[in-house]
Amino acid sequence: MIEIRSITKRYFEDTAVDNLSLTVGKGSVFGFLGPNGAGKTTTMKMMVGLVHPDEGTILINGTTPRECVTREHIGFMPENPSFYERLTGLEFLMFCGRLFPKTRFSAEAHCRTLLELLGIIEAADRPIRGYSKGMKQRLGFAQALVNEPAYLLLDEPLDGLDPIGRREMKLIIKKLRGDGTTIFFNSHILADVEEICDAIGIIHRGTLVYAGAVAPFCQGRPLEERFVAVIQEREKVIPFVRHSE
Amino acid sequence: MKTIWAIAANTFRAAVRDRILHGIAGFAILFILFTLFLGSISLGEELIIIRSIGLGGIYLFGLLITLFLGGSLMHTEIERRTVYLILAKPVSIGQMIIGKFLGLLMSIALVIAVMSVTYLCVVWYQGGGFDGAALPAIGMTILELALFIALTIFFSTFLTPLGATIYAVIVLYIGHSLSLLVQFVRTSGALARSAATAASYLFPNLEKFNIRNEALHHIVPSSASLGFTVIYALCYIALLLALATFMFSSKDL
Repeated sequence: MIEIRSITKRYFEDTAVDNLSLTVGKGSVFGFLGPNGAGKTTTMKMMVGLVHPDEGTILINGTTPRECVTREHIGFMPENPSFYERLTGLEFLMFCGRLFPKTRFSAEAHCRTLLELLGIIEAADRPIRGYSKGMKQRLGFAQALVNEPAYLLLDEPLDGLDPIGRREMKLIIKKLRGDGTTIFFNSHILADVEEICDAIGIIHRGTLVYAGAVAPFCQGRPLEERFVAVIQEREKVIPFVRHSE
Repeated sequence: MKTIWAIAANTFRAAVRDRILHGIAGFAILFILFTLFLGSISLGEELIIIRSIGLGGIYLFGLLITLFLGGSLMHTEIERRTVYLILAKPVSIGQMIIGKFLGLLMSIALVIAVMSVTYLCVVWYQGGGFDGAALPAIGMTILELALFIALTIFFSTFLTPLGATIYAVIVLYIGHSLSLLVQFVRTSGALARSAATAASYLFPNLEKFNIRNEALHHIVPSSASLGFTVIYALCYIALLLALATFMFSSKDL
């Protein structure tokens, strides 16, 4: 289970995340939504220990992500992942596997299986600098899966993929959910979120607006329509104070 | 240790595939071969010229490669966000920094080894036989560069690549001038002596690693002296890497 308890993160005068609390049940797919600059990526970085909250705590399976042992069970794919461009996809994946205590994660066969699952096995032995954006996105997904994580955190995983790629990724996410993996992901593609998520959280200017199941939020309307309506409503209540400062 | 080794091996693999590194290394080898020509026009001092310029060239090109690779090392990791993929895994900042340091050191040691083999072949070709006295000098060069890598990594945790390079070069200059400075102020006032003493504690005394002149005259320093220099370098490197870890830990990525 992922428990986010009253976390706040400030960058100088700007509050990126404000007193955010969330609980994500084990084995569920949770979509974290919000407009640009809402605090989604900051929240996710705090969940993997890259950024530390000024207040509050995050517990993943009962321990904080600042502890290395917690991160052994987390797979993380950042937005627009970058790689060591002179390495091949396979070399990079094996390197990622070696960062975990279990030696089988760095085994060539394991890494090739992942590249095959993600549809880039033909490029396994080619330098990453020659990869297209979609291929890099797939490699980013593959490195997040290298340790067979119990918790998968994905920042815009479907960004930059063509419709076929998106379809394949969604199938993988559904399969992982079936295997009991807890998935937390940020996305702007609301149709996909609606299709694969059990629950959603909506964040606006660092504050959580909604957290819960998709159906009650949608009230029979498409998620995108409801999302836009809710955000526009919030904009009326809280005008662009932060951005105009 | 497995994690540190994985990061070191990865850093090494990425560095040795760098085309600019290939360019500098190729030029360094040409430079050492060029000492054959310089020797031939030096009127009976061929071997001294070849050995002097050859050992100096190994040091200078090693330094150049260290500046080129080390100055941008941590900054590039953050700018390109490759650091996200490492630190989101069960890797501590200290492990990452030590791994990067070792990887870079291995890359530079490899280039130094290639240059050294070329140098030894050139000396042998000129009739100087196997220049065994050069080996401790080359070893000390690698040790100095190791300290210099730690220094550039430390600076690159909080400065831009250009800033890290400039500061590292300033420390390099001070580090090589310390002995001279301390001697110079011996007869000066108390304030100057105190300032020089403080500087000698703060900055690394890089002249300790310069035994190239001794090598030219086939003088091998005592093992006690070499051992002390190795311990001195290791302590300094440990301190710089600890400071780099501290500086990096205070960053929000």
